[in-house]
Order: sequence, then C-alpha cells, then structure tokens
Amino acid sequence: MTAAPAAAPEALEIRVEGVSKVFGAVQALEGVSLTIEAGEFVTFIGPSGCGKTTLLKMIAGLIRPDAGRILIGGRPVEGPGHDRSLVFQDHALMPWTSILRNVAFGLELRGVPKAERQAAARRYIAKVKLTGFEQHYPHQLSGGMQQRAGLARALAVNPRILLMDEPFASVDEQTRRLFQDDLLAVWGEERRTVVFVTHSMEEAVYLSDRVFLISPRPGRLVEVLEVPLPRPRADHGVRGDPGFTRLVERVWDTLKKLQ
Amino acid sequence: MSGAAGTGARRGPPGWVSLVPLLVLWEAVGRADVALFIPPLSRVAVTWWKLAGDGTLWKAMSTSLVALVQGFGLALLVGIPLGTAMGRLRAVQYVCDPYVNVLTSAPLSALVPILIALFGVKDTVVMATVFLFAVSVIVVNCMAGVKGVDRSILEMARVFGATPLQFFAKILLPAALPAILVGAHLGAMQAVKGMVVGEMLVSLVGLGERLVYYGNTFLILHLYAVILTVVVLALLAAQLVHLADRALIRWK
Repeated sequence: MTAAPAAAPEALEIRVEGVSKVFGAVQALEGVSLTIEAGEFVTFIGPSGCGKTTLLKMIAGLIRPDAGRILIGGRPVEGPGHDRSLVFQDHALMPWTSILRNVAFGLELRGVPKAERQAAARRYIAKVKLTGFEQHYPHQLSGGMQQRAGLARALAVNPRILLMDEPFASVDEQTRRLFQDDLLAVWGEERRTVVFVTHSMEEAVYLSDRVFLISPRPGRLVEVLEVPLPRPRADHGVRGDPGFTRLVERVWDTLKKLQ
Repeated sequence: MSGAAGTGARRGPPGWVSLVPLLVLWEAVGRADVALFIPPLSRVAVTWWKLAGDGTLWKAMSTSLVALVQGFGLALLVGIPLGTAMGRLRAVQYVCDPYVNVLTSAPLSALVPILIALFGVKDTVVMATVFLFAVSVIVVNCMAGVKGVDRSILEMARVFGATPLQFFAKILLPAALPAILVGAHLGAMQAVKGMVVGEMLVSLVGLGERLVYYGNTFLILHLYAVILTVVVLALLAAQLVHLADRALIRWK
C-alpha cells in the first residue's frame, strides 16, 4: 500500500453462469446467469426468500452451487479469498475484543504485523467516522456504529470485491440515508466492485449502477435495470429527480408481480 | 465476604447472614445433647482449631490438594479440546456422547473399585477419581459453548480466511470461554467431591482417609472438623474459578 491516495487495486469482474442451489425441498436458485463489470456498484433485490443472500454468499465462496459456476476475474470460485470481503447484516463483530482489533482482524488472520495492521485499521476507522472508539467493545456501540465497524473491517483488507448483505436493514431511515451517502463517498474513492443485497427499492436505485431483480422459489433473475443517474448521487440531488422516482416505480412494478 | 451485597441499589446484609440461623440451631441442638452425632458447633470449632494446630489437617490437606490439582488440571486439558471437537464435529459428538452421558449420570463412586483394580491401592486412584468426576461437566459445558457461537461470526472468520488453528484459538475459544468457565466452576466442585470419595474408598491418604478414620473411631468432633474443612476447600475452589472468570471476561 502506498502512502499517497492509493491507486485502486484492480477491481474484478464477476460472472455467474447457470447457478442453481437447492436447500432441502426449496429451489433457492435456478439457472441464474449474470455479469457484473469491474468497478460496478450493483444491487440484488427481491422478496424474502428469493435467494439473493444465497447468491451473495456463493460469490463470497461460503456456499457451493449445485450446478453452474462463478468466475471472478476469469477464475472459478473455490472458496473464500483475499479478493473478496463481506459486510454482514448483523455486524458479526467479536464481542470479546476492541473495535480496533475487530477492524484489524482480517489483516491479523493474514499475518500482517501488529503495528502495520493497527495503523491500517485506524485509517479505515477514520473513514467510517468512528475515530475515538478504537478501544471500545462492540456492545458499547450503537447498532449503526457497529455496522460502520463491520464496513471498516471489510475495507481494511483491501478487497477487489465488496459484498454487502443488507447492511443498513436494522438502521433507522434518517441514519440509513446518511450511511448510504457515506458508503458512496468511500466507494467513490477507490471504485471497487460492489454487490449489495437489500429489500429497499429506494436504496437499490439510489446506490446502484444496475439493479438485479430476483424472484423467489425458484430463485430466478427476472430483470436487470440500468440506473443512468448522475454521480455523485448526493451532489446531484438525485432523490428529488423524477427519473429516480420513475425507476423506483419500475422496480416496484416488477416486484409487485412476484409477491 | 462482608460488605456490599450488590452495586448500589440494595444495601441489605451480606449473603452468608442466612446461614446464621442454621449455625445457631446447630449449637442449640448440640447443647441439648439430642444425639451423639450432633455435637455443639462451639466444640467442633475447638477441635478444628486443635487439629489445625497439630498439623493433622495440613498434612491431610496437602496430599488431597496434590491429587485435586493434578486430576482437575488433567480434566481441563482433556475436557476442553474434547468438548470443542464435539461441538464442531458431528462425528466426534456421536461417538463420545454415550461415554459422556455415562460419566455424567452414573454413580461414579461405584467405578472406584475398578480404578483400584487398574492402578492398585495407591494415591493415583484419587487423581483418577477427581478426573472422572470433573471431566464430564467440563466437556458438556465446553461443547455447549462452542455450539452456541454466533453463526455469522463463524462465517466472518471463513470469509477472512481463518485457518483451522486460527479458528480454534481466535474464535472458538474466546467465544466459548464463558461457558468453559461455567464448566470449570462446576468441575471444581465435582473435583473436590471426587477427591474425598476417592480418598475415602482408598482409605490411604488425605482428608478422605481422616473422614473414614474418625468415622470408624466415633471421633465425631474430629469428623465434623474435617467435613467443614472440605466444605471450605470446595468454596475456595469455586471462588478461585470465579476470580478467573472476572479476570478473563471483561466484555460482557
């Protein structure tokens, strides 16, 4: 890592090819194929149980497909790897240790020396505006702050692909909007590939370059929506733009039929 | 143990005050000379002091303590890895479950003659008895602790590339530590019981031997003095584990 604002690690392309997954009697995913360009910010959205989190975890390498495969930068996914990082819905911070150690944990597992990994952790803690809370324990932080710590941890390992599983689901509306803008600001600095899972249609359209709509049982890709709104989204007052509202309603029109 | 019963809110008397009526009753019944086996507490206290002074108690206790520490230490060394393995691997749990259930539920004192047959009439039998009494509760609690680890923390460790050793040392052990300490607490109590039972049945050394001797020779006061010593020992063992718990778990 260089001292100057680092050149982004080359973001990676993701190809999902004919992926299927069955859990017991449930067809969680069926023949899903899609491509995510390097550096793109995309969202998976769909009704509960539509397999979007399953697909995200497959990209992460936590679950293996029953059929089909996933390629990252042209290479098949065999398991978790250094190129990918995940932000969990319930923060998944280790309650028995400090925020600093939590954020540095990915680096610790890779054997990065203590001084170096703590310095990196502090940088990312600053990026998510948690400076001053390094020595706190997770239970001493609010839900929103815990989620920010989870994001810092995911960023600290410098992944080429950032995977996010409904990270703002348990946060109130106002805080959620602030987090969305913070996330886009952080993403804008280095433009990694981001795959974001959400239930919220506004969130999906506001954040993404493209939105993938997935149907439940069996989980299928039903539509891909382009979001040609200008970036940075916050600076252009996108929420007030009629184009934004039209896109959100387009998403709802499709999702409505899937309920 | 005097002082605050809690932090702030309630300023009532300390916990052990509830024992006072029992002690008073003991003294009263003893003086009333109701039975040979219920001497007054005050005379027990005098005898205890005498035994402490002439070295009988310390000599018996030192042998007991060695067996206790060795047996309990071994129970931790075996029990924690085994409990962890059972918590993580279905196959291991399947194989070991019957043995753990036997150790938890069977009257273990019945096993002591088998141990004597195996090891001979020696103090190793006491260490083995301590081990058997303590290990199952340690295993069960450790297994429960490991099974109860948050699934998303396990996934998180996988995502960030933890090796099996890192998994065990950095995730499973710290996460299961509260449960392990509960197991250690209960295990310490069981270990003391096992120590006394083993010594009584072997009748060679330690506090157990004294219990059998004084019982057989109807030295009731001496008998009670030794029983009280065993109780205090058990309470001290529990308190030590409690201190370890406070020192290790500061994050709850």
